[in-house]
Amino acid sequence: MNWTCTQTEERLSDYLDGLLAGEERREFDLHVAACSRCAPLVRQVSGLVGRLRALEPLEVPPQLVPAILDQTLGPRKEKKEGRSGLFGWLRPVWQPRFAMGAVTVMATLLILLQALGVRPSALTASDFNPTNLYRNANRHAHLVYARGAKFVNDLRVVYEIQSRLRLESPPVPASEPEATPPQPNPQQKTERDGKPGRSAIREPLEFAAILIPVPRSLR
Amino acid sequence: MEPDAQLVQLCLRGEGPAWEELVRRHTRRVYNLCYRFTGNGAEAEDLSQEVFLRIYRTLASYREAYGGFATWLTSVTRNLLVDHYRRTRRDRITDSLDDALPKLEEKHSATRAPDKLALAGELSRQVQQALSHLSPELREAVILRDLQGLDYREIQVILQVPEGTVKSRINRGRIELARLLEEMGLRPE
Repeated sequence: MNWTCTQTEERLSDYLDGLLAGEERREFDLHVAACSRCAPLVRQVSGLVGRLRALEPLEVPPQLVPAILDQTLGPRKEKKEGRSGLFGWLRPVWQPRFAMGAVTVMATLLILLQALGVRPSALTASDFNPTNLYRNANRHAHLVYARGAKFVNDLRVVYEIQSRLRLESPPVPASEPEATPPQPNPQQKTERDGKPGRSAIREPLEFAAILIPVPRSLR
Repeated sequence: MEPDAQLVQLCLRGEGPAWEELVRRHTRRVYNLCYRFTGNGAEAEDLSQEVFLRIYRTLASYREAYGGFATWLTSVTRNLLVDHYRRTRRDRITDSLDDALPKLEEKHSATRAPDKLALAGELSRQVQQALSHLSPELREAVILRDLQGLDYREIQVILQVPEGTVKSRINRGRIELARLLEEMGLRPE
């Protein structure tokens, strides 16, 4: 049997992988030993196979395995526990649309606590005693009422004095309001703001402020 | 070490650690196959993720009859690689006009920086360049046989072609690769 160059090329991998046996292998060897075309080919491919098999597999990028696990099993356990643990029950309401409501509730609670006399920074067991809560609330209610009543009374005094002074002072000439301002107590006004030419009764509130010390002069 | 088939059964019962073990055990094989076939680190990573996602979703359909988990995994990887090759064929035709063989001498410019790290050895880099010039049929046959170390029977199962075709592709692939490497200046040992 005459072994040809084409046969050598076709059966080269069989030869290298040990799948050529007996007569065929001998024919192959004989041909290659004598053929100047096939010898280098066998040497080249044989060398290549040896080199390829000796190549180390490539290293896997470090982020690949975590990425695969994240994609298949979902985010890692640590993150999951962090979310579903302590505040997990809040998730259904932890949304922007509830933010305004939450702020309002917080503000109301703060006001209520303030009114009940509970200080969140120094909570004690007695703060939750209903009797204490009632007492505090009652005290605050009375305090607010008393402050309101005092304010109204003060205002009444001021307006009373103001209206009496208005009756005593001469009417303001319409043509020269700045030249002869009606000043019930010019000395007092000058002492206060150092602007004698300024109208004192045009603004009742300012007038009232001036009048706070007036009762002394009226005594 | 537990066999793959047992881990698969545990996975099907919802055991996360079993799946993690399977992934850790086989990622290198899948990544290497993807990298050697595409020659691109980022694509190889994406494809590896895609392979494991598909495996995870179809784990229930795995049967021992496929010839072992590794063979099944390689088969899924190979099918995805072929799909990917077909999808990106148009891009490659455009690229190949500027990427003819004479340019193989410019070894360093042809490889992206991150890939240089992966292909630490000069030989590894040259083999990668030569592989990229083989037809996909010959390339996959040589990778499976000589880089992944599979036997003819396994390759036949993976490629779904007759044994004669497998042998012929491996043989032609090796001869072509040797010729390319010689043109690149790599001398036989």
